[in-house]
Amino acid sequence: MSADEFDPMIERLFARTPQMADATLFAAEVETKLQSSTRVRTLALTLAGVVGGIIAVRESMNVNLNLTGSQAPVAGRVIGQGIQSASLDVQGAVASGLSQMGLADMTLGSMGGMQLFWITAGALIALAAAGVMKLSQDV
Amino acid sequence: MAKSLMDHHDVELAALAAAGGRREFGELVRRHGSAVRSLLRRMGAQGAEADDVAQDAFLQAFEKCAEFRGDGTFAAWVKRIAARLYLKRKAKDARYVAGIEPDQEEVTASPDQAGLVDLDEALKTLSETERLCVSLCHGAGLSHPEIAAAMNLPLGTVKSHVKRGLDKLRARLSPDSGQSGRATHVG
Repeated sequence: MSADEFDPMIERLFARTPQMADATLFAAEVETKLQSSTRVRTLALTLAGVVGGIIAVRESMNVNLNLTGSQAPVAGRVIGQGIQSASLDVQGAVASGLSQMGLADMTLGSMGGMQLFWITAGALIALAAAGVMKLSQDV
Repeated sequence: MAKSLMDHHDVELAALAAAGGRREFGELVRRHGSAVRSLLRRMGAQGAEADDVAQDAFLQAFEKCAEFRGDGTFAAWVKRIAARLYLKRKAKDARYVAGIEPDQEEVTASPDQAGLVDLDEALKTLSETERLCVSLCHGAGLSHPEIAAAMNLPLGTVKSHVKRGLDKLRARLSPDSGQSGRATHVG
């Protein structure tokens, strides 16, 4: 047999493979590994998100912004006023939402602007962590 | 009525797997797992090792599934991944030292009960490097330059190994060799 005839024959022989008896078991093992690696990744990303969020919150609380103080630079005062007005906006939006739901009596007045800021920040971190988790599952 | 997984073409399943479909990828593993495991055994991997590498290859394929464009077959794509993984593992284990390892003593293939010698038996008559080169070339579909790069061997050496390996297989498998009768393989 010449090489020209033999090479295609070898390729055909390599291409022909028996279906192994434990093919289904092998596929199940691969699927299990895929599941567990996804779970590990999700857990790692969630942990990283939570740890990062905690560190970010802790660092933010340690910063004494005093942004509206008279000695703060102009830019700082502007940012501080922006945060305060945003907090008030959120407070107003929540209050109007509650009044529409018939919960107008529930007072938010005791909640200061900074408290609302931290609650919003916490909610955003939780949203970001959830988004990262969802992304990791999609990838 | 929705198509069952078995009705999907490999390219469709790969696209669904690229979007995170583990069940779809599982179907691809069921279809092509045996082919990948057989190739690794033909390259010289032992049973459990071959299965480990095959699993790793499929896991890697799942991660890279978006890169599969359907230019070739899915099986060929995973085989290439598996072959490269096996070579890396061999290099890491230092069981394989490119270019300087002594050729194994050649094994004489023993005819099976029907008096026939199949490809797997015939491959055992090749040296380790010849077997790897022939399997990478004709089983995994790598070109000679790709094999040379993957095995860190000169191109000429790879060509020689492939030629010598094929000569031995031809002597063993050719119908007119008088030794093997014909090659058998379950399709």
